[in-house]
Amino acid sequence: MDLFDTTQSALNRAIAGTSLRQTAIANNLANADTPGYQREDVDFHSALQSAIGQGTAAVNAVEPKVAADPTAPLRYDGSNIDTDKENAAMAENGIEQEALVNVAKARLDILKTALGVR
Amino acid sequence: MGMFDAMRISATGMSAERTRMDVASENLANANSTNGPNGPYRRKEVALRTAGGGFGAQLASAARASVPGSSSIATQTGTTAGGVQVAGVVEDKTPNRKVYDPGNPDADNQGYVSMPNVNPVVETTDLISSSRAYEANVTAMQTTKTMISRVMDLLK
Repeated sequence: MDLFDTTQSALNRAIAGTSLRQTAIANNLANADTPGYQREDVDFHSALQSAIGQGTAAVNAVEPKVAADPTAPLRYDGSNIDTDKENAAMAENGIEQEALVNVAKARLDILKTALGVR
Repeated sequence: MGMFDAMRISATGMSAERTRMDVASENLANANSTNGPNGPYRRKEVALRTAGGGFGAQLASAARASVPGSSSIATQTGTTAGGVQVAGVVEDKTPNRKVYDPGNPDADNQGYVSMPNVNPVVETTDLISSSRAYEANVTAMQTTKTMISRVMDLLK
């Protein structure tokens, strides 16, 4: 049996996904006043969800990617950025990351206790 | 690296918004400057454009091209995210306003003065909008900082 199971790997990939998503949202906010800018986002949930049933190797192979979000332009300058939506997405992403890190930490602590490290 | 990219991107956004504030303040300060090296003051505007991936992204794509099987690093950072940059400060082409003021030393033969094409209301709203956008970038940077320190706590 592996020391780090599928769930731990999935937590690691999800934390990496939230980091990349934070970068994409920061880029959207930086370009809030760039004419014609198309927003970017990261969807790692669906890939991770389908990989989680196929074992640790499949989960480790999940690579979160930044993709353009081609929703219709919202503004006269052709940009589809809504600052409020970006802020909401950023808050959601931050909370999700906090939850993931807390769970990963709890699981690591259990392992440490079992190993007699603490 | 992923997370530090986010901080750099927010910094480019803050710098661009500060430039917009500088230019709006200059326009506002010169709203009544009828005499300058090229006649009355002309309103300026900041043109922004998306900055194509910085040094990190270029390095990542170079690494992807040269090392077979290194796609895992490259795809993760292989984003076009490079923040925003000021493409230039351009002049607003709208014509100057003519105001009848024969006593003004800059008046023409008919007594009309060419006033700058600055509308103080437009400049004030621009100032507010760039200040709000600046705040959004600051919030993004704070969130990024919190996320990084949370991950660092995993090491404890």
